[in-house]
Amino acid sequence: MKTAQELKPNNVVLIDGNPWLVQKAEYTKSGRNSAIMKTKLKNLLTGSSTETVYKFDDKVDVISLDKKDTTFSYKADGVYVFMDEEYNQYELREEDIESVLPFIVEGMSDVCHAVFFEGRVISVDLPTTIVRQIDYSENAARGDTSGKVMKLARLINGTEIRVPDFCNTGDWIEIDSRTAEYKCRAKAPA
Amino acid sequence: MADSLTSPSLRWDIFCRVVDNFGDAGICWRLARQLVREQGQQVTLFIDDLAVLGRLLSELDTNVERQSLDGIVIQHWTESGIETSGTDVVIEAFGCTLPANYLSQLTSITRRALWLNLEYLSAESWVEGCHLLPSPVEETSGSNLKKFFFFPGFTDKTGGLLREQDLLSRRDRFQQSDKNRSALLKQFGINIRPNDFLISLFSYENPALGSWLEELSQHSTRVHLLVLEGPVVKDIAYWLGEPTPRAGDHFQRGQCHLHILPFVRPDDYDQLLWCCDLNIVRGEDSFVRAQWAGMPKLWHIYPQDDGVHLEKLDAFLTLYNQAFSPEADSAARAFWQTWNRGKNLPLAWRNLLAHWPAIQAGSRAWCDALSRQKKLSEQLVTFAKKQLIFAPRNIS
Repeated sequence: MKTAQELKPNNVVLIDGNPWLVQKAEYTKSGRNSAIMKTKLKNLLTGSSTETVYKFDDKVDVISLDKKDTTFSYKADGVYVFMDEEYNQYELREEDIESVLPFIVEGMSDVCHAVFFEGRVISVDLPTTIVRQIDYSENAARGDTSGKVMKLARLINGTEIRVPDFCNTGDWIEIDSRTAEYKCRAKAPA
Repeated sequence: MADSLTSPSLRWDIFCRVVDNFGDAGICWRLARQLVREQGQQVTLFIDDLAVLGRLLSELDTNVERQSLDGIVIQHWTESGIETSGTDVVIEAFGCTLPANYLSQLTSITRRALWLNLEYLSAESWVEGCHLLPSPVEETSGSNLKKFFFFPGFTDKTGGLLREQDLLSRRDRFQQSDKNRSALLKQFGINIRPNDFLISLFSYENPALGSWLEELSQHSTRVHLLVLEGPVVKDIAYWLGEPTPRAGDHFQRGQCHLHILPFVRPDDYDQLLWCCDLNIVRGEDSFVRAQWAGMPKLWHIYPQDDGVHLEKLDAFLTLYNQAFSPEADSAARAFWQTWNRGKNLPLAWRNLLAHWPAIQAGSRAWCDALSRQKKLSEQLVTFAKKQLIFAPRNIS
């Protein structure tokens, strides 16, 4: 058990038997009011989100979930299959991996953490930084190398993100998988 | 299903721990009374200090552990076991912590029940984002008891304020006749003349009070300062050079007539607020009552060592002063902040008076706007019925 004031993003709390991922945790103290912790939670089984509020000293059941390194193997009939080093396969539905889905592409080599709850795989996490290729983007405006002018770029799976104007079709870029933000240009993976 | 929302009353338990002064007890009592009288609910008020409630309610017998008053069951909250008896909704007022044995009983019942944490009043913007959020604490895990936070407030996205259904009409009737004002003040031995300026003073200690009293003593017309029981009396005594002013005492310094009032019960206090040109109030209960008086006011907010109360004060001023002209906003803001920081008051006071008509008009406009909000008791009942009848059992 932890107290609510100790909650941090990416903690998982158990509520009525369900694991909830803490996406946001905001501490507030004002006047005579109790100090409170407002959280945004995502149900790791259903994908639904909710907000909650706790008194700072409320007890919450923070749990550790088992994780295993896997790589994306293939997609068939709306099911995404990941495989570990021992060739065990783990099947996940689109809704299980909604948050990382924009960055799942055929042939990706990222090591993904498959997340287990009560022995069952419930989701995967991507590395914080991933490298992807721009499948299409409008040509750069002449001369802008500042990185301040942004434009849309499309990845091979159709995901669109904002990139600096100097990025071109075929470029490889680093992306923060948590925020879907462009980080920098990258070399093509070996 | 719609009929279920107008179904017979729910059973409410309100838990109140008296931290200091009368605010906690006063708010819980008002809430209980409005739930019973206006919302047709059944209420038991558990309070740990009957003596404090007894000062507010002359009819209360503080020697009786359990009694009924105005349709409300009042139970002395002691360390001995408290039984739940078909409770639908329990209100934990101001984070007072429910008794463990009571909570344990409530989590073992098979039907739904609600646990509402009623918080202190604040005008800060974060309140809107936290009002009515669930709080799935460990104690309720796997049970039919669901906990939520309920925040009173000044906007439509909050739980509103406590207000009796007929409060404003009673106020308007009272204010229509000067005779009412004179009659009430005569009870306190105060005779007023036309154009006298009346101020009620119910505040915490203020080291700068003397500087303001000096100003009042040189005011252009007679000023009556009606001082209510509390820590500020010490500051008054110091300025007067009177060691022990007592209830019923009257003093005059120049134009300033000081009246030390005996303890004023809540209903009489409302009338006093309606009488005065300026009400200086403190804490929460008297602060809310001053909103409904519709007169200019000053809030001496409950001071805290870390200074967070000043942010809360500013948050209220930002809402309240929207009804004011920019000049009146600036004058009122300066007076409130100067008072609450214990700084010298004369300049801020003179500036306030320079914008007095605008401040009067703004105060009434603010009150009128607030009166269009749903009342706190009504919002509580609506929320409770929706949760108990319609809502899914889990938080998602």
